[in-house]
Amino acid sequence: MLSKTRIAATLSLALTIGFASSAQGQNSAPLSFSHYKLKNGLEVILSEDFAFPVVSVAVAYHAGSIHEPAGKTGLAYLMEDLMFRGSLNVPPHQHNNYIWRRGGELNASASEDKTLFYQTVPSNQLGLVLWLESDRMKSLELTDRVFEDARNSLLEDLPLRRLTVPYYDSFLSFDQLLFFDFARGHSLLGTEDDVRNLTLDDVKNFYGTYYVPNNAVLCVAGSFDKQRARDLIARYFETIPSRGNDLNPALQPPPAPPKKQQIVRTLEDNLASAPAFHLGFRLSPPSSDEFYALSLIDYILFRGRSSRLARRLENIRSPLLSPASGGIEVRGNQAVYKIFATVNTLAMAEQCQSAIFSELDKLKIAYMPESELTRFKNLLKKDYLWRISSTRERAIFLAESYLTMDHFDDLPLELQRFMSITPVEIVTLLNRYFKTENSLIVNVRTK
Amino acid sequence: MTKIRIILSLAAVLWATLLYAQREPFRRNPPSPDPLQELKLPLIDTAVMSNRLSVSVAYRDDVPFIGLELIVFAGESFSPERSPGMAMFAAQMLGRGSLTHSTSEFQEILDSVGGTFSVSVNPDYVLVSFHFLEEYLDQALQLISEMLLQPNFSEREIASARLRVTYDLSEKDKDPEFVGQRHLIRLLFNDHPYAKSSFTREAIRTWNLKDLQDFFGRTYRPNNAHIVLTGSLNLRTAVRKVSTFLNLWQPQEISGSLIPLSLAPEKTRLCLIDVPQSQEAMIFLGTSYPLPSVPEQFDLKVLNQVLGGTLNSRLFMNLRESKAFAKFAFSEADLWTAGGAFIIRAKVRPDVAAASIKEIKKEIEGMANLSSEEIEQAKAYLIGHFPMEIEPFENFSGKIAEIKALGAGDECWSKYYEQVSLVNAERAVAAAKKYLLRPFLIVVAGDKNRLADQLAEIGSFEVFDNKGQFLYTVNGKGAAHEARGMRPEFQRRPGHK
Repeated sequence: MLSKTRIAATLSLALTIGFASSAQGQNSAPLSFSHYKLKNGLEVILSEDFAFPVVSVAVAYHAGSIHEPAGKTGLAYLMEDLMFRGSLNVPPHQHNNYIWRRGGELNASASEDKTLFYQTVPSNQLGLVLWLESDRMKSLELTDRVFEDARNSLLEDLPLRRLTVPYYDSFLSFDQLLFFDFARGHSLLGTEDDVRNLTLDDVKNFYGTYYVPNNAVLCVAGSFDKQRARDLIARYFETIPSRGNDLNPALQPPPAPPKKQQIVRTLEDNLASAPAFHLGFRLSPPSSDEFYALSLIDYILFRGRSSRLARRLENIRSPLLSPASGGIEVRGNQAVYKIFATVNTLAMAEQCQSAIFSELDKLKIAYMPESELTRFKNLLKKDYLWRISSTRERAIFLAESYLTMDHFDDLPLELQRFMSITPVEIVTLLNRYFKTENSLIVNVRTK
Repeated sequence: MTKIRIILSLAAVLWATLLYAQREPFRRNPPSPDPLQELKLPLIDTAVMSNRLSVSVAYRDDVPFIGLELIVFAGESFSPERSPGMAMFAAQMLGRGSLTHSTSEFQEILDSVGGTFSVSVNPDYVLVSFHFLEEYLDQALQLISEMLLQPNFSEREIASARLRVTYDLSEKDKDPEFVGQRHLIRLLFNDHPYAKSSFTREAIRTWNLKDLQDFFGRTYRPNNAHIVLTGSLNLRTAVRKVSTFLNLWQPQEISGSLIPLSLAPEKTRLCLIDVPQSQEAMIFLGTSYPLPSVPEQFDLKVLNQVLGGTLNSRLFMNLRESKAFAKFAFSEADLWTAGGAFIIRAKVRPDVAAASIKEIKKEIEGMANLSSEEIEQAKAYLIGHFPMEIEPFENFSGKIAEIKALGAGDECWSKYYEQVSLVNAERAVAAAKKYLLRPFLIVVAGDKNRLADQLAEIGSFEVFDNKGQFLYTVNGKGAAHEARGMRPEFQRRPGHK
């Protein structure tokens, strides 16, 4: 049985992933891995693949903006930056240099649920990456100077985004209305006031609470000797102390929506060159198994070139406008479906919105032809398989899946589950969640 | 007493630290690497079919996809003189259905096979990249066959493609990076067909159905193309499958070949491209040369790595990390069939554009003095990075397509490590003297009102509008000469007799 947090899992996955069933070909993912836990609670996943002499290491912490208290927004994003500003044995920004000098690649991402660090290096440098990651997990250098530098950098960035990115404020407002509670609805980057008021102690507390081995997963994928990897991991990570039982208190379930009725708002945007609209549906906390069909619905509505809503809007909107976008997003245990489209006029926005509801109505009353369903399953399958086809993607995929699944060992069966989705499941979920009274519209006017 | 306490406390801290360090001394320094693992690459097998279509295959069974890369030597250099951009126009039409299937039906087929599809155009060739679930090879080849043998050149699709390109180019005309690069290509390649890649929005007016059909009919021929298939299949299967779907593709004699690029420019030349209201300045420095030998190509790779290949190279470390002038500063050693070009690009604050150019020049001059240590570091990067570069499936297919398109051999594939290893400081410096320590064409794209005074500090420069029209010349630290009908005699462009 998959959990609600599992839904979150995919939804983050679902943004780029797929599932699928096809008329031909295998429906099981070519994915092998093993996993175990260190004494300090750090989960370790190993996935060997000897096609190329490279190895990827991903470390994911269950720490995101949903873990920030009110008045302390921006902490999770700031923390990601601070992880590159030096630790006890690694000087500031040298983490990057250690990787780059050996031909490696690295990156990190913070989101609402988690923060992820990953690097790919020649396989003979596995020890180096484990040394680097363990050093910042064990002993990050959090000094006044480092903190001030990172905070100032974020404070420079925040107004810049608001002043240069069209629709930026409308996205934030839309999120607040759609998720409607503080934990899920606030911006990952935080507000300028909150960030300005953050203190070094806030950062130290966040690091001490969430950047601990028993709140993290370490995944190694690629060409390595399993025993050698286990030895290195034990050497570098096993003595990092864990934290007690007060770690990461369970997130409160999302509150019930205020009213079962459609909400429509209109905002103005100084930077927008064209009007636009956001349209969203609250998917409630869907049951774990619903997640699979909801993810396929995502494909049916907006993924690929032949998806239903993308095509409907193509017939209304000017071909010169940026393509409309849509997708599931999960924050904590709350899932939503979000659509965004620019338009020539607000009248056109209304026309588009009517077309969306009309297309959804069509999908709700008739089972989708098998051939069309197979097409979307194949798209999903392609994306799913793509995510495990390189060591970097596989390391990230496994680490994220671990954080969001209750039964991680069921992962190899997941693709089959996606492939077995029936038209009945699709219709049932569309009728359950994609209702007018469950929707929110934010129209954006130009100034 | 207090002093004693302090001393005792410090001693305790020191003792604890030493104890800690002794307990886990391995944390203090990075571990030594394990021995470098061997990179085993599949052979690239090639066959030529009866219609003279070349088919290459590289076996890879660790991913359930097939990569199909179609190379057609119909890049921008082959666009007719009267219709610049025709190569891109023809490539745009490839995804727009066939006589059998509409555009939307094409899109459905692409989705049905779990496909990703893209088309790119460079000066030499068009590259169609199509990756799909391995069980759909037949359907994918059927689609490619329809694109090539039954293209849909309906007036409706042509109008739609023109509209798209017009809009895209008009948007890009506001982007200093795009505008600067376009002018660099035009001025650097000058009379060479590679300059055709710099076409502007105005060229779209020259596109018509007849020219499109003529261009397509002349260049999209099997004897002017190469298909690369990667995945779990061998050459025999690949040739059989490709033959089934493309045996009716008829060859035709292809006329003309590209003349080699020359060493250019002969003298340093500075150009300012006006992009009004631009908040940033884009700096390009470029130099072109005939096709270097294979060892020299690797020398240039190493030089590029030292100078500006990555975030750790000299240009980035200087202009961004040290001086905080730039958002980015990189270099690239490009290769095409007729030669190569070494290009430096930096996005900088307009107020430090001239200072940035000076720093870039200084870094280029620094290529005359390279230590063995720096060369070895660059080589370590290239060797370490190569497997990472080709491991993602789309990159793997793309790299083989590039090798085949350039007519490169095993030196760039299975002997890559060996070739990089052979580069040393002596060779690198010799290559730098031959290819880099010479005049560069410098193009700066940005708001001329914010840049002109600074550039005059460097020397004389020509000013163009963002469409490439010459406006006037500014003498170093001197007054502007407005263009009146024709440019002053003494300002003739280098390369023009």
